[in-house]
Parts: sequence; structure tokens; C-alpha cells
Amino acid sequence: MSTFDRRQMIKLAAAAGAGVLLPRKVQASAGLFEGIVEKISQGIKGTIGKEVETPLPIPGARFGMVIDLGLCIGCRRCSYGCKLENNVPDAINPPYIMVLETRYRPGQVIDEDMPVGGHHNGNGLLYTKLRKDRMYMPVQCNHCADPPCAKVCPTKATFKSPDGIVMMDYNKCIGCRYCMAACPYNARRFNWRKPELDPERINPLVPVRTDGVVEKCTFCVHRTRRGRTTRCVEVCPNRARTFGNLNDPNSAVSKLIVSERSFRLKVGLNTGPQIYYLTRPKEKPMRWFKPVPISPDVRGLKK
Amino acid sequence: MSVIKDALGHAITKLTTANKKFYIYCLVLLIIAVLGLGGAITAVAEGHYHSDMSDMVPWGILISGLAFFIGLSAGATMIGLLIHGFGRDDYHPVGTRAILVGIMCIFAAMGCVMMDVGNPFRAMKIPFLLRNETSMFFISSSSYMGFTLILIAELVSTIYVTIGKAEKRGKRIAKILGIIAVPYALIVVHSFTGTIFGVVKAREMWNTPLLPVHFVTSALASGFALVILVTIITSWVNKKDLVSRETYNHMGIMLCFFLIATVFLDTFDYLILSYSGTAEGLETWDIFTGRYLPTFLINMVGLYAAVILTALKKFRTPRGLFYSSVIVIIAIAAYRINLITIAQLVPLYHELGEIQYIPTMHEVAPVFGLIAALMLLFAILTKVLPMEDEVHTTGH
Repeated sequence: MSTFDRRQMIKLAAAAGAGVLLPRKVQASAGLFEGIVEKISQGIKGTIGKEVETPLPIPGARFGMVIDLGLCIGCRRCSYGCKLENNVPDAINPPYIMVLETRYRPGQVIDEDMPVGGHHNGNGLLYTKLRKDRMYMPVQCNHCADPPCAKVCPTKATFKSPDGIVMMDYNKCIGCRYCMAACPYNARRFNWRKPELDPERINPLVPVRTDGVVEKCTFCVHRTRRGRTTRCVEVCPNRARTFGNLNDPNSAVSKLIVSERSFRLKVGLNTGPQIYYLTRPKEKPMRWFKPVPISPDVRGLKK
Repeated sequence: MSVIKDALGHAITKLTTANKKFYIYCLVLLIIAVLGLGGAITAVAEGHYHSDMSDMVPWGILISGLAFFIGLSAGATMIGLLIHGFGRDDYHPVGTRAILVGIMCIFAAMGCVMMDVGNPFRAMKIPFLLRNETSMFFISSSSYMGFTLILIAELVSTIYVTIGKAEKRGKRIAKILGIIAVPYALIVVHSFTGTIFGVVKAREMWNTPLLPVHFVTSALASGFALVILVTIITSWVNKKDLVSRETYNHMGIMLCFFLIATVFLDTFDYLILSYSGTAEGLETWDIFTGRYLPTFLINMVGLYAAVILTALKKFRTPRGLFYSSVIVIIAIAAYRINLITIAQLVPLYHELGEIQYIPTMHEVAPVFGLIAALMLLFAILTKVLPMEDEVHTTGH
């Protein structure tokens, strides 16, 4: 190849490179510029979820939940249902509800032939075998009576509402993540990147967040303040979860929390968690219900 | 107006007549600043997903940077107290530079917070439009603003005194500001910064009433070390000692005193942690002395080495103090990283297993960019502002 040809080739390559790279750089710069403008606009106006109406607290109610560890089979449908219900993007991982897996301890009886519901496979539930040497414990926001996250939030973006729900005002959140550092239950999630959600799957009753803000379980405030139960309770195939008003002595939760098996997480920290757990009974084998039929409106589980 | 006009003219003359080395130094700093701060702009525009922070480790290197720089700024104010409160006139040539160091460090601290938060533009609404009086973050960030104002007022009044334009009242104002800056810095600013972490009962390592005290002693040591470093480097660059050998000796003794207090607290803090009655405490100790042993060693060995160096008179020379100061600054930076970031690696639920955190370039580069930008500003300001030693030498 002659020198002329080589030079020509270098020139061509340089031109092609510039043609490919320059627009990308320009695009990237424009993206950065847009991102900054968007952040400034959010910072000044605070536009997250303005179109969504959050129902007012129910007077006299104090919401709480009971999770029976004798019934939890670790299927994580609560976690999955919650994610779909609350417009939680895939980038938020782990989701609001983490299901911890611990080793089986003596005294706990599990029927090894029990099928376990897992995540959907497109046509229905995917069943897996329950591991008899494991037990499962879902953890999430405990909606503390004295929430450390609300105390430390510098802008009151996190606050305790009269019905006991620890809420977030996304338009006040500066994303300092102090609440995350202060939460003893690891219940808060930060949008490290811009959330990407399938527009068809967006729940119009729940605000879509943006990057740079913290979010968390709201006890499905858009449902519970309208007299319905939380999505995690609804999708649990084994009825391990019970939600209700702790101020009502006749509610199911009030009856369950007086059980000998009842306990709460990290009570020594005096945060007053409003999620109660029931330990697995020693003398009885783990109860098993048939998975509840999946209602067609279970978001994302229908296909 | 004529004072400002004169000052501007003086500044322009100083900058345009600077030597080549100064321009090269500024250019290098500018390049580092632009590259580093580019990373910060990306994080603001696209989110912090490039970092190694996670929902398990929400505070990374930038929040460690906040505590570190706040400490440096608080410690740097000690020079004002020595001059005005204890009548140590031999520290006078360092006075303005120490205030500038304090201002640069408080800017660095606030810069770290701004680069770390998810929406810095919304954060600017604190404390006027958004506030929560029970939040230590709110109290601290509000106190930083007050501290910045005090330091700027102290700088202006010191400059007036230096150029001989201040009358008796002006000198008294400079003296009062020099004295009140120290208790404000230590009791309000740095103690509350320590309290940000101290009130977090979820974290075993943080939740102790001794943390604010710990922050104050380490602030005094690191801030004083930084001022010593600036004094020595300025002397080397100007090829003329800024302070006498006697003053260097006194600086060494002061640093040694602050270091002993820091080492004492550090040693017993770790000793008690190693005997912790809780699983979290023991796990924290295991992480410090296991996976993250290098940071722990840099912290402890560095502090002990610096105590020994500053305790020996023969090392209280400019060169000896240079090494001691560098060691102190690195050791206390390691302490901040250990306490703030590494302490978060203890999982809040045992079942979550081992949590890792190694800062990425996207987190480290903005810190270096910020340091470079503030070093550049410091270089320009020390060039254009009247420094005590220059005024006394040239007789302006």
C-alpha cells in the first residue's frame, strides 16, 4: 500500500471516528445538560407525583401488620406484588420487602413435600420445593411509632402520619440518605439512577419517583386509606400476613399481637416497630394452605 | 470604594507579574479540578449509580470527606485563638493563611455534601425553606453557613489590620472574631458533625456520646497539622521561613498535645469495641481488623508514629513537622473512612451476609477535583491578598 493510500485511510478513519464520536459526545453533553436542568426544575418546583392524590389518614386508625413465620414459605410474592403495585423500578434492588433466609433451627417443623410458590413464569406460578433446612423472614419498613428516619430527615421529607404510616414527601427529599443510615431495619431505598418503568405497568394511584430521592414501603397508603388491604397481604399464598388497625381491639392484628408467639424486631432500640412477627410453633407442623387463586387484577402477575 | 479599587488593581498586578511556575501549578490544578468536577456533574445529571454505594452502604467516601474537611477547617481556626487569645504574636505571619485554609476546608466540606446528595439544588433550600429542627444534619449544615460567615468576616477584618487600615475598633473586631471562631468551630460545628453519626442508634460504632469529643480532638490535630503543612510549604516556596524555629517547636508541641488526646480516645474506643457485648460490635471489630485492616493500620500506626515524632524535639524542625503533619492528615482521613464508611459494612441483618464497599473513580475523582479547585483558589487568594509576612517585609 502506498503512503498516499495509508494517509487517505487514516484520514477516512479519523473522519469516520469523528462522525461517530462527535455526535455521541454532543448527545452525551445534551443529556447531561437536560439532566441538570431537570434537577434544577425538580429542586425549585417539586413536581413528583403532583397528579396523584394521596388519601387523607383515617381518623382513629393506627395501622400495623403481623407476619406469621410459621406460615411464611419464602416465596417472595409479597416482595414481587409490592414492587408492581408501588411502581418500584427494577433498579431498586433489593425491593421494599426483603425475604431473609435463615437456617432451620431445632424445634421448627416443616413438611418437606410442600410446594412453594415462586415468581411467575408467564403462565402462572412457578413452584419450587421448600427447603426443609431453611426458614424465611420477610423484613420491610416497620412503620415505627418513634421513627429514627423521620427524626433525622433534615427537610421533614419523611414524616409520621396520624394513622401510623411513615410517609415520604418526594418533593422535599434532597437525597442525603441520612434516613437510610439511621434506619435499623434497612428498609429504605435510594434511586441511584433514573427509574425505568413500563408505561403500561405504571399504577396511576402511586407517584412515579425520580433519581436522587429515597423511597420506602407506605403500607400501600393508596389502598389502605381507601379501606383495602396492602398488596403484600393480598398476594401472600399462605396467608402469613395480616394487616389492620391496632387501635381496634377486635381487629385480627390486635388479636394476633397478644399471642405468646408475638415479637418485634430490635425492640431494644425503642423505635416502637408496628410490624409484629409470630414465631413458628414448636409443637405443630407448619400449616399449609392452597395458594390463593391469583386475581386477574394482580398487577403484572396476569399474562 | 477606593480601597476596593486599589485592592483590585493590586490583585491584577500580582497575578500578571507572577512567575512561570505559579502559572504551571495553577494550570495543573485547573485540569484536575475540571476532570474531577466533571464526574460530579455527571452524578447530578444521571444519578449516583456509578458509585459503589448501595442501599446497605448509603454513605460513601464523600460523607467521610465531609467529616474530614469540617475537622480540618475547625482545627485551622486554632491559629486565630493563639494570636488573639494567647498573645502569640509569632504566629501572626500564618494568621491570614490559616483563615483561608479554614474557609477552603469548609467549602470542601459543603462541596462534598452537595456532590453526595441526590438533589443539590433542593438542598440549597436548607435552612430557610426546608428544615427539621430535630435533624443533626439540618443543625450542622446551618452551622456551616454561620461558620463560613464568621471566617469570611475574620478574613476581612484581618486584612484590614494587616494593611494598617483598621483602627482600634477594627482591631478589636478582628480579635473577637479570632477568639469566637474556635469555640464556634469546635463546639457548634464539629461537635454537631460528630452528633450526626452519634445519634444513629442503628449503628453500633456510631452510637456513643463520646463521638463528638472524638471528632473535636481529631479536628484539632488534623486542622493544626494542615496549617503547619501550609506554613512549611509556603516557607519552602518563598525560600524564607514564615515563622521562627521557636514557633515551629511550639507548633510541634501543640500538635503532639492534640494527637495524644486523639490517640487516647482512638485506642480505648477500639479496645472497648474489641470486647463488645453485641454481635454487631464484634462484627465491626472483625471488619476493622480483617477485610479493612490497611485502613485501620494507617489510622492507628500513623497516629502513634506522629505522636512519637512530635514528642521528640529533634523532629520538631520544618522537615520533621512536614512528615508528622502529612502522617497526621492521612491517619485522620483513614479514621474518618473507618468510622463512617467501613462501620456501615456491618449488616443490619446477619442473613444479609458480607457487604463490600470500595469507592469507584466516580466517587474519588470529584473529591480530588474539589481539592484541586480549592487549592487553586487558595493559591490565587494567597497571591492577591495581603499576607502578613509580605506586608511586614515590603513595608506596605
